[in-house]
Parts: sequence; C-alpha cells; structure tokens
Amino acid sequence: MRLNLILFSMLIIFALTLVNAEHQYRNNYSQLDRENKLTFELRDEQTKLQIEESEKSGNDRINEIATKKLGMYAPKKLDKKILK
Amino acid sequence: MIRKTKNPSNFFELSTFRRRLVLLVLLSLFATLISRSFYLQGMQTDFLQKKGRATSNRIEELHAYRGKVIDRHGEILAISSPVQTIWVNPPEVEMNELQKKKLAKLLELRVEHLEQRLNKKDKQYVYLKRRASPELATRVLQLKIPGIRTEKNYDRFYPERETTAHLVGFTNIDGIGQEGVELYANNLLSGVPGYKKVLKDNLGRIVDDLQDIQIPIDGQDVQLSIDKRLQYTSYQALKKAVEKHGATSGSAVLLDAKTGEVLSMTNYPSYNPNNKSKPTSRIRNRVVTDIFEPGSTIKPITISAALESKQIKPQSIIDTEHGMYRLGGSRFTVKDTKDHGIISVSEVIQKSSNVGTTLICEKLDSKYLWSTINLFGLGVKTGVGFPGETSGKVHHFKHWRKTEHATISYGYGLSTNLLQLAQAYTVFANEGELKAAKLLKNSEPVIGRKVLSNQTSRQMLEILESVVSTDGTAPQAKVSGYRVAGKTGTAHKIINGAYENKYIGSFVGIAPVSNPRFVLAVMIDEPTIDGYYGGVVAGPVFSSIMSDALKIYSVPQDAIEKKDNTIVADSKNDKVI
Repeated sequence: MRLNLILFSMLIIFALTLVNAEHQYRNNYSQLDRENKLTFELRDEQTKLQIEESEKSGNDRINEIATKKLGMYAPKKLDKKILK
Repeated sequence: MIRKTKNPSNFFELSTFRRRLVLLVLLSLFATLISRSFYLQGMQTDFLQKKGRATSNRIEELHAYRGKVIDRHGEILAISSPVQTIWVNPPEVEMNELQKKKLAKLLELRVEHLEQRLNKKDKQYVYLKRRASPELATRVLQLKIPGIRTEKNYDRFYPERETTAHLVGFTNIDGIGQEGVELYANNLLSGVPGYKKVLKDNLGRIVDDLQDIQIPIDGQDVQLSIDKRLQYTSYQALKKAVEKHGATSGSAVLLDAKTGEVLSMTNYPSYNPNNKSKPTSRIRNRVVTDIFEPGSTIKPITISAALESKQIKPQSIIDTEHGMYRLGGSRFTVKDTKDHGIISVSEVIQKSSNVGTTLICEKLDSKYLWSTINLFGLGVKTGVGFPGETSGKVHHFKHWRKTEHATISYGYGLSTNLLQLAQAYTVFANEGELKAAKLLKNSEPVIGRKVLSNQTSRQMLEILESVVSTDGTAPQAKVSGYRVAGKTGTAHKIINGAYENKYIGSFVGIAPVSNPRFVLAVMIDEPTIDGYYGGVVAGPVFSSIMSDALKIYSVPQDAIEKKDNTIVADSKNDKVI
C-alpha cells in the first residue's frame, strides 16, 4: 500500500514535471522564433542602412558637394607650380 | 422509498430500486459519452483533425535573400530591400466614407478605382498596392479597416541608377532577372526558399516544429570586375559628348589591359532601373548587343597582319595614289579624305589612309588576313556571357572577292561590337597576347592567347602613339602626363541596306604606352553637331575617361610635360596640395 502511494506520488510528480518541461520548451521555442524574426528585421535594417550609405557616398552627391559646396576643381596648367 | 432506520450505519443505504436507478442513469450517461467519443474520434477523425490543424498548424515560408551585385571594391550595385504588399480580402471589408477617402489618398488611387477593387466580393486576395514602403503600410494599417492586410516582400534597388542600368539590368516584380547581370547570373543570385511546419498557440505564437525545417538557401553575391567610380566617370563623359554632338547614343567600355577585366561598361542615353516603367528602346546594352562596321579602328589589326608576315616594315613607303585607288579588275574605287601622297606604313595608320591600307593588305593572302582577324576575336563572342551579346560578322574568306578583301582591310564589310574591339586591342597592350574580356572579378592570373609576336605588337603600339600626336587624327585624345596610343574610326552607317551620310565616330586606345594599364573603346552614334570624325567626337571622351582612370588608380605618369614636376602646388597660395 505504501509502495503504491510512493509510486503514485512519483507518477504525479513526473507527470507535472513533463507538463512543465513541455511548457518551458514551448516558451523557449516561441522566444527563439521571436529572436529569429528579430534577426530578419535587423538584416532588413542593415539593408536599409547599406542603401542609405550607398546614397550618401554616391558619386553624384560627392561631385556636387565637391564642386558647389567646397569649390573644388581639377588643377589646370596655370594652377600648377614646380617646387624644386 | 426510504426506509426509516434507527441504526446510523444503515443511514446511507438506498433501496435496491433507487440504487439500480442511479446506476442505470450513470451507465446511460457514460454510454452517451462513449458513443459521442466514438463518433467524434472514430467517425469524424479526418474532419476534426483537419479543422484542428487549420487553427494551430501552419506552413511558413522562410524567405531566401537574393544575392547582391557588387563592384570590384564591394560597393553595392543591386540589393534587395524590404517592401510591403498591401492587399484586401473584399468580403471582410467594412469601412465608412471617410476611411475610404483616407485609404484612397494613401494608396494614391481614385476612390472609384479603390471601390472597383473592394467590390470583387468573389475574391479573397486583391492587391491594393505592391512595392509599398513599410511606412505607408503602417499608415494603412493604422486606419484599422477589417480585411486589409500587409505582407512583406523584397524588391530590387539599384543605388547607381542610370549609371549602371545597362550593365546590372533589372528584375521583374517577382524578383526574376530580366536584363543584364540580373538575368545573366539569375541562378546564382536566386536563393531557394525554405519551409517549416509549425504549431501555433491561441495567441498566434509559434511554439513547436511539426516537421524538420527546410532551411532557406540565400542567393550568392555576384562581384563584378566593374569599378563604380570609373563607371560614373565614363557615364558622365559620354553624356556630355552625346549632348554636345547631338548624337543618338554613345557607348564606352574600359578594360584592364593586363587581365581583360571590364572596369566600366556604359551607354547613354540610359534609364532608371528603379522605375517600374522602362523605355524599351533604351534597355539594351549597346556595348555588347549592337554591331557596327568598325571602320578605321580595324586598320591596326589588318596592318599588323602585314607586319607579322614580314611583307612590310613600319618604315616601308606606300604611294597612296593621290587618295584614289581603283581595284584591278573591278569598278570599285578606294578613297581617302585627302591626298596623303607618298607615306610610310606608320603614317598610313597615323593619317588613317584607306588607300594605303588597301595597298598593304592587297599583298596578303585572304585566308591569312581572315584568320588574323579571327585571332583578334572578331566574329566570335567574347565569352563574357552577357545576355544578348552578338558575335559580329566576318564572312569566310572563301566568299571574299577582291572588293571584300580591300574593304575589310579598312573596316567595311565586317561587323563587330564595341567590347570585341576593345578586347582586340589588348593584343597591342600585352606584347601580342589577347586577354579575353571578363565581367566577373578575377583573382587568378590570366592566361592570354598569343596573336602577334612581341616585335610586331611593340611596333604597332609605337605607330598607334603617333595617331594621338598633332599630326595624327586624334590629338584630342591626349591625356596630360601620359603617353597614349590609339586609333580613330569614322564609319558610314548602313540604313536599309545602303550607306547614308550618318556616321559612327569611334576611338580605341591604350594608356600608358610605357606599361599599358587600360584599354578603352568609345563609340558615338550619329553625331550631328560639331563634327562627326572619331577623333573629334570620341577622342575627347577617351581623354576624359582615361585621364580619370589613370588618376583614380594612381598610375605613374610616363610623359613629362613642360613645367610639370612630381609635386603639384596651387599657384594661388603656394600651398602643397
């Protein structure tokens, strides 16, 4: 009778542990899925930043800033001087 | 009926009748449960399992990213960026007039057009807007209209727009390559999407996998040999020339002389590949798709065949017959633009004399001339594999008559594309070795194909240098501080089978001559203003692009100009720059 009671208690404990483990697993899996989604979102964000970087470093923009804002130009013959 | 008992132990005893009645009721309840259970689990299994799966099991597609197209330095030329598809399930839609107006405004649609889509009650998936920005999708969802949903997709973005449009090409709305590198490397760029079967809880969270995940395979990045900076500078120079000379179009291709790698490949006019509608007349990459008669740019090839055969030397004297030479046994007359008198072989190229070239090549065997032209890669595809690439045409020598033999020697009666022409000139830049053109970045040493002897190649390079001198046909192709070799071409265009007074001006050149680094071919189609000669219309484009390329790659100067030195200073304030 006592053995039965012990086995029954153990059965209940293991059953509860199993349910808990399954619950934990699902929680963790759900979190993993969220993290994976976040990875994709961050990857998309990285793409956006790459595009922005590409836009900012575009030849057209650099050319415009160099010529209009900074007043840069390719040196002409008269602009060159020989240093001995 | 309860019998009254005096003994407490008999207190809960029931009459036999009642006991049986309770038992019967309980048994019948159990029987009902069991039969219901049997009905549901035994007879309705499939239906119920299907329903259950539909609410908790999902097959989710795992997106595979399309690879990027990058230049030789890793700069982005094409990339997939996230966009939203806004769609509607019409039977679910409920909205008031104000919401409808707001939605139409956000989607940039007329209210009538929006209503037409919303009235498709027999459909469950109707597009409202594709390629919408994530911000717009959020604003649409904020209207909280039932039945309107969004879906994330990926769209191609081309940061360099017109500059690389012909080269990189574009994809269709489903992300499949349609033109250019996008089409050429579609299999490499495309990924394989994955799938996973998952279990969702009542909150819609994924809590378990029900099958092994099929992992998505992302597409590979494609690294081109192109240099974004040179592509830009080429495009700008071409644009300027085409607009200045009122030409129909212009093309340029720059090769690394040592490896054959294509460093820039541009055409003008171009189009913006980011726009949905693309002008069909502008989408072809003329550098590889359009063939033309090369005209005088072929003379270095045919005359080097003569030099190689040892029948002539650069110093050999040719009488150009006052600029008019009638082929023996034929009514065909070869003409020069003017009388060059008695000139050397070098001067035949320098002055671009058709008569001189005809007289030199007349002595050559047709088979030998034909095979030399073929060895230079004309008449066969370059092997870059670009979609729509043409091979050009060089008729078999067996079909040559005397006239063809003569005209082919100075660039008529055969056709080539600009890339083939640039590739052919790598022979003069590599001591007689042809380096096949390549579009993908190459890290391995390149093995060329020997076409000419070192001596002939050097002789021809020297001759070509004289073309850019003041006495040559292309002084405007000069590059300050560098020795340049090249050849002009001005070819009549054939329209409806007849030559018309429309021209293609071209220039193919090499720099620096002391240690060739770049080969550049430029073509201006139908120039109408300020001249049409290759030296006038294509020469300055060559000079501009080559000058930038040499500066960008810090190629040491090999020509000392007057007043020039190793350090350049600003004369205005004497500061070293």
